Amino acid sequence: MNLEKIPLFAALTEKMKWLTARQKVLAQNIANSDTPNYRARDLKPLKFREFIQGPQEENVHISRTNTRHIFVGEASRYESQIDRNVTEMTPTGNAVMLEEEMMKVADTQIQYELTTSLYKKNLGLIKTALGRR
Amino acid sequence: MDLLKTMLISASGLDAQGQRMRVISENLANKDSMGKTPEEDPYRRKVISFKNVLDREENITKVAVSNIGVDRSEFDLKFNPSHPAANADGYVKMPNVNSLIEVMDMKETQRSYQANLGAIEASKKMIMRTLDILRQ
Repeated sequence: MNLEKIPLFAALTEKMKWLTARQKVLAQNIANSDTPNYRARDLKPLKFREFIQGPQEENVHISRTNTRHIFVGEASRYESQIDRNVTEMTPTGNAVMLEEEMMKVADTQIQYELTTSLYKKNLGLIKTALGRR
Repeated sequence: MDLLKTMLISASGLDAQGQRMRVISENLANKDSMGKTPEEDPYRRKVISFKNVLDREENITKVAVSNIGVDRSEFDLKFNPSHPAANADGYVKMPNVNSLIEVMDMKETQRSYQANLGAIEASKKMIMRTLDILRQ
C-alpha cells in the first residue's frame, strides 16, 4: 500500500514539504538579519485550489542515460521571493525585521505540529481499520 | 533532509554573531589603549561587516563575515600633560571607541544570536515531530 496514493496523506506530505521549505527561507532571513543590503524573503502561500489542480506547468527533467552524465537535481518547487512591502530598513540597507521573522517561525512550527498530528491521527485510523489498536 | 540544512544556516548565523561579539569585546578591551609616543596612534575601533554567501555544496544561502575593517573617524583628544604620549600642548590621542555604541552593538548581537538559536530550536522541534509519527 502506498500512503501517498491516499489524497489526505498526499496533501499532508505536501504541506510538510512546504513548511520545511519555508523554515529554510526563514532561517536564512534570521541568519542574515545584519547583512547589508539583504532583503527578507518568503514563500508564496500554499493554496488549496492550486494543490487540487496540481502543478501548473510540467517539470521537465533531463534523463540520465549514461552513468557519466552530471545529475541535475530536482529544483525546489517552492521558489522564495523577496518581500516587496518593506516597512523599515536600516542605514546599511538591511530590511529584515527580526520580530516578524520569529513570528513566522512560530507560525510554521504550529502548522507543522498540526500537520504531523493529523498525519498521526489518520495513521491511527488505518491501524484501527486493520484491527490493531 | 531540508530541516537539517535549516540548522546549518542558523549555525552560520551563530558563528557570524560570535565573531561580531569578538570584535566588540576587542574594542571594549582596548578602550584605553593609547600610544607610547606623541606620534604613535592609539587603538583604532574595528568594524565588522557581513555578507551572504551561497554554499554550493548544500545549495543554501549562509551568512559569513565579509571583512573586519577599521573605523577611520577622528581620535578624541584628552588633556593629560603627564602622559608620555602627550603632544606639545599636553593633549593625548584617545582611541575612537565609544563604549555606549559598543554596548548597544553588543545588545543587538545578543538578540540576533537568540533569534538564530530560536530558529534552531524550532527546526529541531519540527524534526522531532516528524519522528513522532513513527512512535505511537
